[in-house]
Amino acid sequence: MTPVLFLVLLLLSVPVALVLALTAIGYIWASGNTVLYDSFAQKMFAGIENYGLLAIPLFMLAGELMNEGGMTRRLINAARVFVGGFRGGLAYINLLANMFMAAIIGSATAQIAVMAQAMVPQMEQEGYDRGFAAATTAAGGLLAPIIPPSMMFVIFGVLAQIPIGDMFLAGILPGLILAFAVVCVIATIGFVQGFPKGEWFTASEAASALLYCLPATLIPIAIVGGILLGIATPTESAAVASLIAFLVGWLVYRELKPSALFGVFRRTAVNASMIIFMIAAANVFGWVIIYEALPQKLAAYITSVTSDPFVFLLIINVMLLFVGMLIDGIAALILLTPILLPIAIAHYGISPFHFGVVVCLNLALGLLTPPVGVGLYIAAAMSKTNPGQVLKSLWPFLVAVAAVLLLLSRFPVLSTALI
Amino acid sequence: ANDFRLGLITPPPHIWTKAAQSFAEDLAEESGGAHSVTVFPASQLGNEAEMLQQLQTGALDMAFMTVAEVSNRAPDLGAFYAPFLAQDVGHAGRILRSDVAKDLLEQLPGKVGAVGTAFGMGGLRQIVSRGEVNSVQDLAGSKTRITPFAPILDFYNAIGAAPTPMPLPDVYDALANGQVDAIDMDAELIWALKYYEHADTILQSDHMMFPMVGLVSGRVWADLSEEDRTMIAELMARHVDSTIDTYVEAEPVWLEDLKGTGKTYKIVDEEFFADAVQKWNEIWSQKSAALDDLRNVSRETAN
Amino acid sequence: MLGKLSAGWARIELGAAAILAVAITILILLNVVTRSLGAALFWTDELAIYAMVWMTFLGASAAVHHGSAVAVTIVTDALSPGLRKIAVRLVDLIVLGFALMMIWFCWQWFAPDMLLRSGFDIGAFQSETFKFIYSEPTTTLGIRKVWVWIVVWLFSAGATLHAVANLSRPADRVNVEAS
Ligand code: NA
Ligand code: NA
Repeated sequence: MTPVLFLVLLLLSVPVALVLALTAIGYIWASGNTVLYDSFAQKMFAGIENYGLLAIPLFMLAGELMNEGGMTRRLINAARVFVGGFRGGLAYINLLANMFMAAIIGSATAQIAVMAQAMVPQMEQEGYDRGFAAATTAAGGLLAPIIPPSMMFVIFGVLAQIPIGDMFLAGILPGLILAFAVVCVIATIGFVQGFPKGEWFTASEAASALLYCLPATLIPIAIVGGILLGIATPTESAAVASLIAFLVGWLVYRELKPSALFGVFRRTAVNASMIIFMIAAANVFGWVIIYEALPQKLAAYITSVTSDPFVFLLIINVMLLFVGMLIDGIAALILLTPILLPIAIAHYGISPFHFGVVVCLNLALGLLTPPVGVGLYIAAAMSKTNPGQVLKSLWPFLVAVAAVLLLLSRFPVLSTALI
Repeated sequence: ANDFRLGLITPPPHIWTKAAQSFAEDLAEESGGAHSVTVFPASQLGNEAEMLQQLQTGALDMAFMTVAEVSNRAPDLGAFYAPFLAQDVGHAGRILRSDVAKDLLEQLPGKVGAVGTAFGMGGLRQIVSRGEVNSVQDLAGSKTRITPFAPILDFYNAIGAAPTPMPLPDVYDALANGQVDAIDMDAELIWALKYYEHADTILQSDHMMFPMVGLVSGRVWADLSEEDRTMIAELMARHVDSTIDTYVEAEPVWLEDLKGTGKTYKIVDEEFFADAVQKWNEIWSQKSAALDDLRNVSRETAN
Repeated sequence: MLGKLSAGWARIELGAAAILAVAITILILLNVVTRSLGAALFWTDELAIYAMVWMTFLGASAAVHHGSAVAVTIVTDALSPGLRKIAVRLVDLIVLGFALMMIWFCWQWFAPDMLLRSGFDIGAFQSETFKFIYSEPTTTLGIRKVWVWIVVWLFSAGATLHAVANLSRPADRVNVEAS
């Protein structure tokens, strides 16, 4: 009965957070254990009383300030100094910029929108096919959740109760493999279709691009260095990055006025509260299903099908590709982790880090696959083309990423080696 | 017939969780299958504060919980955390099994909303430090990870350290990368979770005991028959109490293992901490009415 | 009228949420600075967490007004305009139902009626209800936790207001505002 309630609410377009909370309420009702209602509101609060979640608003803030303060643009410009003149140079830059930024801002789709507007016209100007330009932007969005910093990893870390810094480490090797795979796709397409020749900056242009980019490089240094050197927690390094982004955007680039800050914080509050509230609802949902020992029952069913961790992950992958057709990545992550992770750990001995990498990449992939790929539609809309046109260039990327996903599912060491 | 739920924060292989499991098995057997207990380890139902609330509403039936959490609402029990109340883990066991300790359980239904069946035990607290520790001054000003409870906080404040509350999953990294200088921890986890790997000094201070208490929801208790109450109270008490024997046996082995790690290993006593113990006693003789009685028990049961 | 009240309240909620986001940032930065100076403050983490929880609940309530929460629209997007209008109304009703249930949960949790009956005597209230909500301490802040928990009431009441206002919108504006 309750799974039906869940599906009906979900498909009726009730907000995902409320679907979770209402299903939990329905579960309690059906189980007759109505004393749980007394703890319901308190449990909703308790689910977000968590230090790790502070990383969500702070990473979003850092991303907002970087975009507002002109840092993103200057980082891209500096990258052009090094590869802009190569054939397909701009395509690689688009990919790299997306990889870094998309997951900072929390919503891969929002970042695809920003980057498509910025990069697609530039690429078209140099003679790239518009569909291909949009496809590269979208493919960058695929890598973003895996290469740290990543909002998805932050959220998974909180849900799985594992250190977020370690989760970031787990993403490094898979991220490099992914980047390599995607670069190979771009190179192959370039080889087959022939890319337009890029243009090198003149020496003075290059010097100024590099000089202007210097302050902006402080931000990746603050985030990555802070975490890896252990000077700061991921949450703290995001706060430091926000401060740097603000100071550089205001005092050095002079594109960010302090008066614009309130708007930035307001947007951050709106976006962060949306995600964190979903987590609050997922928490009561997870609590109720644990009370009803549901993961044990589901586990008994799945373990009767297979006892092999790889086969289990394959089943999860196929299942998640369907889920990814319906629901945006982070919402799906919040929805499914409480159910699937306990099974993966207890019955298949899968490391939570390995599981997190596989699930996050899978859900990112779902964002771009038809029939419902929000990322695909946004990339198309923002670059004023149609999804079919984008998909024509995108499918080799999807295939490559799917292959990497299989590889990562098969070899856990790729995710756990650096931890 | 009831299907009880028992929650606790420790992971499945931990001594407390094992005791909970064998309690579950025994209760099922002794009740002839009428009652069953599902154990929810590793904070699955929430942290201790949340579980305590669930005990109060009756959503959760039973829990094995640190006395620290309970002492938030029943400060008298904070006296168990008096520094150097116990000389060693065996002595701690004798104190926890005393009549004075048992009497403290009686205030739990009124103050906490749960019935306490017996005290159990975690290991004694030790200190692991990244830097050299030659005197207590070396700990002053250092960021020291603690479990955030008033009696522990007061002890480290008295030393002059900067006590930093931090949940267990973050501790290893924090110690590895210098977010904290030292940690307050028990020998079992220092060994099992390899906290010594990123430390220079292991200080066997045995400065505090870390008791546990077996709880049954007051609401659930009210609905049980007299017969069931007796059976549950006796069985739970037996298994909670059994953790004391387990620690008495296992703790010396862990400490021996830690000595073998090649890290600087120092055994220190009450004098090492100078006037910190005195300061702590001044604060807690106000907060807890049980402190003097427990000190007396400590003297009577000392070796 | 109701619509204006809802819009005004949502503006206040988001303004407060933005200020809380500022507070979070400052507190975390303060944490970094004090720790590097060797004078770590032990209460900043807990305060930052509570600021985040408040920001979340206020923002979530405002999201009911703005209809901005994440939802799966694959089915409703395919409906005819007439059916879609019905679906939107149905969702409005469900949201209101949820908000009212939250108020009821808060009532069960805080038991204000019992508190009044016990003449605000916390001890008497506790022994009668077995609810310890009014004596629960915060870990490091030295205030009672009930002051922090109160935000769930704010959320429930705010969401109820916004949901009622959504339902009282003229039917022809439903589509515009929901999309
Ligand atoms: Na990233
Ligand atoms: Na999809």
